[in-house]
Amino acid sequence: MESPLLSIHTTLGAKMGDFAGWLMPLEYPAPVGGGTLTEHQAVREAVGLFDVSHLGKISIVGPGAKQWANQIFTNDLNRIAAGQAQYSLLCNDEGGVVDDVIIYCHGDDELLVVPNAANAESVFAILQGKNSQGLSIANRHNDFAVIAVQGPLSQELLRKVGLHQDLEYMSFAQVTFDGVTFTLCRTGYSGEHGYELLPPSEIAVRVWNELSREALASGGKIAGLGARDTLRTEMGYPLHGHELSLTISPLDANISWAIGWRKEAFLGHEALRIQQAKGVARLLRGLLLTERGIPRGGMLVRNGAGAVVGEITSGTFSPTLKEGIALALIESGIEVGEQLMIDVRGRSLGAVVVKPPFVPSHVRDQ
Amino acid sequence: MSDIPTHLKYTAEHEWVESLSTDTVRVGITDFAQHALGDIVYVLTPKVGESVRAGAVCGEVESTKSVSEIYAPVNGTISAINDAVVANPETINTAPYSSGWLFEVSSVAAQEVDALLDSSAYATITLGT
Repeated sequence: MESPLLSIHTTLGAKMGDFAGWLMPLEYPAPVGGGTLTEHQAVREAVGLFDVSHLGKISIVGPGAKQWANQIFTNDLNRIAAGQAQYSLLCNDEGGVVDDVIIYCHGDDELLVVPNAANAESVFAILQGKNSQGLSIANRHNDFAVIAVQGPLSQELLRKVGLHQDLEYMSFAQVTFDGVTFTLCRTGYSGEHGYELLPPSEIAVRVWNELSREALASGGKIAGLGARDTLRTEMGYPLHGHELSLTISPLDANISWAIGWRKEAFLGHEALRIQQAKGVARLLRGLLLTERGIPRGGMLVRNGAGAVVGEITSGTFSPTLKEGIALALIESGIEVGEQLMIDVRGRSLGAVVVKPPFVPSHVRDQ
Repeated sequence: MSDIPTHLKYTAEHEWVESLSTDTVRVGITDFAQHALGDIVYVLTPKVGESVRAGAVCGEVESTKSVSEIYAPVNGTISAINDAVVANPETINTAPYSSGWLFEVSSVAAQEVDALLDSSAYATITLGT
């Protein structure tokens, strides 16, 4: 499968990488990009344009679609109305996380679920398997592009290309471009004020070119998935396969806010209620290195006595802080502020336990 | 195409070696290597006075996404470290063959340097990958 914008990336000379079978841009050469650090900084200070078309798109349409989905996904869909989006989880019966998703509520009878690329097929299969009331559930992975416009200048950029709508964080509206109407959402994965656009694949290149011309003219950059990962790590946002998985529960990952505990049922609710009552042995925390070095996923975390107390799930160099940062699953008794050590290929580097985000979130800024 | 100056010697591990005197060399990573790594954000160098063995790991270069080991290209003793590149690793991206050098090795046998790859042999390696 490929993004409808693939030829743009190859023409720009982007460094490409495989994401669940999708060839996607990691970073772009200057002047449109300039590498992960430059692209990251553009998103924090100006605006960055990302192709994230590899994200899945599953539509659920039919009478009672919303209430049906509310018995499957963890978060409570009754907290949102038509025109709003919600972060949610699809768990298995053991409370493991099949995927984390954004659900767009178009109304009581229509939802759009956006899973991760790698899990789109599993999410689709589970939803189909639970479809006992004849809802129309369609895997529309190739029907739309997903273009993310992220950064403090994102609103101004959309205004310049005539795609602006006043939107609260996690809400969406329809916009029209060249006579084609599609969804514009105030969502993202960068921690900045930002938007995601879902143009049908056949007009994606035209929408992208318009956005890209204006973004570059206003000091912005085209940004790759390299920057997307450093941006989300600075925010402490979980990435499925790292901070969430079939063996890492939402309680381990410290995101029980994405669970509608008052709901009668959702997939995995029994296992998760037991976990909640017993408490979890490990918790996802932030680690900020106090020495020079870069933590990476899989590295062990030790206490002052040298005992292993956890493992890093994601680690990188924070382009904003210019320090090593990590997300790690560590023993739940360890508090914020405690000093730990990270085993970096035989060197023991000091780190302090922090509560993410590592840099302030601006997602709700006007 | 990456830049491969003809006056330098190279290793298959994408390091360049410049003869400073009969027994001292300066070492860095090639333009091809810095481009493949992407933005370099961390450098771990050997220490001055340390003995290094040709082909053995003596440091690390890390980009935002990955880590790459640095191998000593020749036997000898570390005689200088580029402190500026440790403080500003991005220098390796912008000037891999000049201000982005990593360390110098002394007490090096001239024939070891002669035996390293020349620019055309190294260019063949970069085309093969």
